[in-house]
Amino acid sequence: MSARDTILNAVRAALGKSTVDIEAVRSEANALLQDLDAIRPERPQGSLIDAFIARATSPKVAASAERITGVEALPAAVARYLEANDLPPSVALQPAAVLKNLDWLPLEARGEVKPDDIVAVGVARWGIAETGSLVFHSDAETPILANFLPLHHIVMVRASTILAYLDDYAATVAGQRAPRNVNIITGASGTTDIEGSLVLGAHGPSRLHVVIVDNDASHT
Amino acid sequence: MQEATLSFKARADQALADPTLKLAIDRTTGTAERKRAVAMTQFPQFEAARERGKRIKDHVIAHMDHYLLEFERNAIASGAKVHWASTAEEASQIVVSLCRQAGAKRVTRVKSMLGEEIGLPHALDEAGIERVETDLAEHIVQLGGDRPSHIVWPSMHRTREQVSEMFKRAHRLPHQEETIEAMVASARRELRDKFLSADVSISGANFLVADTGATCTVTNEGNAELTTTPPRVHIVTAGIEKLVPTTAHAFAMLRLLVRSATGADVTQYTTFHCGPKQAGDRDGPEEFHIVLVDNGRTRMLGGELREMLRCIRCGACMNHCVVFRQLGGHVYGGTYPGPMGAVLTPVFDGLASSRDLPHACTMNGKCQEVCPVAIPLPTLLRGWRDRSWREGLEPASIRIGMGLHAFVASRPRLYRLGTALAIRVMRLFSRGGLVRGMPGLGAWTRYRDFPAPAKRSFMEMYKDSEGKR
Repeated sequence: MSARDTILNAVRAALGKSTVDIEAVRSEANALLQDLDAIRPERPQGSLIDAFIARATSPKVAASAERITGVEALPAAVARYLEANDLPPSVALQPAAVLKNLDWLPLEARGEVKPDDIVAVGVARWGIAETGSLVFHSDAETPILANFLPLHHIVMVRASTILAYLDDYAATVAGQRAPRNVNIITGASGTTDIEGSLVLGAHGPSRLHVVIVDNDASHT
Repeated sequence: MQEATLSFKARADQALADPTLKLAIDRTTGTAERKRAVAMTQFPQFEAARERGKRIKDHVIAHMDHYLLEFERNAIASGAKVHWASTAEEASQIVVSLCRQAGAKRVTRVKSMLGEEIGLPHALDEAGIERVETDLAEHIVQLGGDRPSHIVWPSMHRTREQVSEMFKRAHRLPHQEETIEAMVASARRELRDKFLSADVSISGANFLVADTGATCTVTNEGNAELTTTPPRVHIVTAGIEKLVPTTAHAFAMLRLLVRSATGADVTQYTTFHCGPKQAGDRDGPEEFHIVLVDNGRTRMLGGELREMLRCIRCGACMNHCVVFRQLGGHVYGGTYPGPMGAVLTPVFDGLASSRDLPHACTMNGKCQEVCPVAIPLPTLLRGWRDRSWREGLEPASIRIGMGLHAFVASRPRLYRLGTALAIRVMRLFSRGGLVRGMPGLGAWTRYRDFPAPAKRSFMEMYKDSEGKR
């Protein structure tokens, strides 16, 4: 008998049953997701965008954030970040059309993120206000390594894509084919592995800067 | 690993005699305890969320056959190859042979307690495959040639001075400055090109999502994604109890897991891995394998330990355990330390060699109180004690002692006489309300004082007050 059969038989023997009422199991599983407000943090006061920024910049998450109007304003925001942090005027772009189509001059902007890049600019599909998280799906415009190789990660997210809860993201993608990777990124890379003391920039970025784009004509 | 051959008591004595160990344990568990407490005040829904989390896990456990098949079907549809392993050896063999098929010279590993449980580090070393641990703590454990001492902070037994020395010896461009920041940067430099040049990556899973066939990893360092993206082959090993029905159920569990483990609301990196590289993808593995591991879990399912299958490996029970905080994790001798380890190790290693673990517990109930899925750990430990007694595994001294106790305790007059005598003798040795040493009490008083008993026994005082009425 294969290990698969051995395990499945042992499970059925332990549970004392041999048949499954799939509909009953499904409705039981759905019932466990009722009244979500009772089992998740309270929805913060004010707009979702304000709540998102408050979470992302809270000491626990320790990202920085700013708002701009229109995606065309992104290169200038990136240039300001580089200057404020004494970084050279050069960035690697996640190979997404929305980023490539912008006018990056006078910055040097390369359309690929390499292992030794210091600053990369990316674009998240969604923001999550509950946790201050950014959500990425791997695809032709979204290599996963681009989120992890640079030391500074600057991520744009459209204000209209900010969701209240992680569950809202789950509901949004339910029934769709899952991408190879879903990255839910909350702040910079950190470790507490030496004496419990927090150090940022463990293997991934040491800094995460979020740029929220309002009134984006190309999206609406 | 000399410690494994020593008895539990000998290992405990060693740990207690090591002053830096206590310091290292206090630093990490103390921080973890404080941060969790703060997270709880910010999450008043915790009790309700915990009850729901418990029900979600119980639901999956009660329908494990259904969810295993649903997960397998969806994983295969995503392009994954699913393997099944009944034992630790089978699981390790599957992984090693997948590495060999891939012609792997170097594999990178993401911290996975299941990987430790099935002896994967050892199996890879035996097979002559270069193994690179990418989690910072596992990297420290690998350099130190020892074992993880905590399931969330595997190298918590090391002080910064020890880590500094190891990095200076092993890293190509070690830190110059004696700061933790500089040490972390040294590890980042050392491991970066290894991430990118490995042939196979191996990770565990915090959740197996049945309705998508995805596996989920949570890390704070970002090493899981850096590890599993570049190599041509990604292998996941996961226990069959990791199933959840949907992504939304995984989020409900994630809220409990992270707050209980580190006090954060969510890990920095929560990643779902679903199949190999898809058409158009810029990166990712060509092959994606999932090894589903039983290793005693179906036995737990059919017995008194079923509730232990709810465990989500957060480590809160050990952070709050008075015994763990004195001894650290190595003393437990198994993959999993602390209260959850004392319940699990007898399942994997047999009770005969681990009967001391269920006894290394004060039954203060703290572990159950903080458990995010409300596992009755003290009850399960008591079950092992009971079984150890029934199977005759308790040593003669305990059997004789318990026999004597039963003899005396079932004879009220003898019992009263005995206690009245005992407290008077103990008071002869007490100074300032404490017994600091007494023949026959050495095992206790070596590490702490014994409170002096009252002048008279309860029954003596009770009789007096009865007479006064």
